[in-house]
Amino acid sequence: MTRATGRLAAGVAALAVALAGCSAAGAQRPPPAATATTAAGVEAARQFHSTRGYRATPVPVRIEIPRIGVASSLARLGRAPDRTVEVPDRWEQAGWYALGTRPGDPGSAVILGHVDSKRGPAVFFRLRELRPGDQIQVVRADGSSVRFAVDRTAQYGKRRFPTDDVYYPTLTPALRLVTCGGSFDATAGHYRSNVIVFATRSP
Amino acid sequence: MRSRTGPVVLAIVLLAAAAACDATNNRSSPPASTQAPAQASDQHAGHGEHGAVAAAATPAARAAQLEQYFAQHTLLAIRQMRSILTATPEYREAADAELEEYTEELGQVVGGAYGDAQGERFERIWQDGITHFTAYATAVAGNDAQARQQARTTLEADAGAYGAWLAGASKGRVGAADATAAMRTHVEQLMRQADAYAAKDYDQAYRTERDAYEHMFAAGTALAKASFPPKTAAALDAPVAQLRAAFAMLLGEHMQLIIDTQRATFAGAPEFKAAAAEVNANTTALTKGMSAIVGPVKAKEFQSAWANHVEGLLAYSTAVADGDESARAAAREEMRGYGSRLALFLSDIVRNELPLAPITSALGQHDQHLVDQVDAYAAKRFDDAQAMELEGYAQMLGVANTLVGALQRTVKPGLPVGGSQTGGGGTAHRRR
Repeated sequence: MTRATGRLAAGVAALAVALAGCSAAGAQRPPPAATATTAAGVEAARQFHSTRGYRATPVPVRIEIPRIGVASSLARLGRAPDRTVEVPDRWEQAGWYALGTRPGDPGSAVILGHVDSKRGPAVFFRLRELRPGDQIQVVRADGSSVRFAVDRTAQYGKRRFPTDDVYYPTLTPALRLVTCGGSFDATAGHYRSNVIVFATRSP
Repeated sequence: MRSRTGPVVLAIVLLAAAAACDATNNRSSPPASTQAPAQASDQHAGHGEHGAVAAAATPAARAAQLEQYFAQHTLLAIRQMRSILTATPEYREAADAELEEYTEELGQVVGGAYGDAQGERFERIWQDGITHFTAYATAVAGNDAQARQQARTTLEADAGAYGAWLAGASKGRVGAADATAAMRTHVEQLMRQADAYAAKDYDQAYRTERDAYEHMFAAGTALAKASFPPKTAAALDAPVAQLRAAFAMLLGEHMQLIIDTQRATFAGAPEFKAAAAEVNANTTALTKGMSAIVGPVKAKEFQSAWANHVEGLLAYSTAVADGDESARAAAREEMRGYGSRLALFLSDIVRNELPLAPITSALGQHDQHLVDQVDAYAAKRFDDAQAMELEGYAQMLGVANTLVGALQRTVKPGLPVGGSQTGGGGTAHRRR
């Protein structure tokens, strides 16, 4: 047992001791129900069922950003063996990070796309043009859709990538769009920065 | 005089347990057995006599404390207003006493954040608010339109006084207009729930109660932020801090809604159904939150285990209200089984960051608080029922904090590392 868990166990044990007194105080038997009002409440309570059968939000299949002319199906992305995020195989197609949040659920859903190929612009070439208030629509597998409004667009050096701000689970439905930006390192064959669009769900 | 020893002891052990397990807390803490209340400044506090409320120093600890006190105070005020509307003098006596003491403690908590003099100013404004909410409920109960309008006017003035106070106390970090608007929302919500309750529109009353709780929980975070320089306060905007607050809010809300629903069993079918609908709404929100952390498959498992937990609690209170001793004993036994299975699930999803035994024990204590509170309520020992509510809420927030701490340690290693290689050839760079 670690020191921390040991302290927790000690705390919980002490809590149990503290609560023993409360339990004793609460052990007096309540009087039986007498009123018709309570009887009706009891009957309603007997019919109570807790909500069950959670149905996961359908996966996203398409993204549309009218302001910059993006309309793309979505590939499913995971993590590469080196623990970096996978990127789409195709230049013209964006991809959804499927190990994270589904768009519209609580948390930040992440969609990535290339900014360019060796031949020219790719799907997220104009991503950095997005401004606060611009609308993004994500269509899901069941045909439903969810809209997001851009809060801000920012550029970060890849060494200072804000992992928590992009991937960390929160309970606010949000969307992050990621592509490359900044200067190009021709030796490494990669851009030195990422452009990230932060958006939150529109009503 | 009611005993306050229990809450103080509870505060000590909860604070120690939470501090020990909070991954975000880098301070070393003394063992629980040696930790005095004044030193145990991190996380959620029980409440006690004068001087028992410890000041919180860090943004996370201060936010946790103010969230707890603002949210709980809101519910105490709502319950006190309803005791007026239902004309139940014994319950009102307990509700009045609890609200008065809690207001005093809230003043101390605010004093811990803004200094004693500001805490005293705040407490005067808050006490005025209580007086005027009481007047509003009395006017609604008496169907006195003029008195109702007068109470509304004074409550709106109270919101303005709060705004002016916070603008000054925060040295302008929060504008008076913004703070007034936030408090006006609070005032409107409490009046609206009273109007709905008096009109027997219980769906609206309980939905508004839930909104009011969530609003003031968030107001607690905002009040904590405003007490720190912006650079320090930014820690509360971090995703880690937001996740902690959101889960504490939802788990605390679960506790309070179960209490509502247990008590509503005695008040008839329409009120029970309205309160129970909010319990289900909270369960849905918790499940979605869990999905954000552990994914939809595990979230579905969580919902099933949580549903058993909720149904067990309400089966117990149903048996109590029905005066059915054998059903009561059977429900209590079932609750133990549900608690063990829920603990097993939680231990699994945090990948043993928390051992099973403390989780099982903490869930058992949560159940015990709710059992004791409904036993006391049924026996019309309203002081005890109120005490269990406050202790149970503080305990639940402590559990939430500990659980989120463990989840954080589980989640972090699974996140992608670094930026993305989403550029193919440098053509974008050359063209701009």
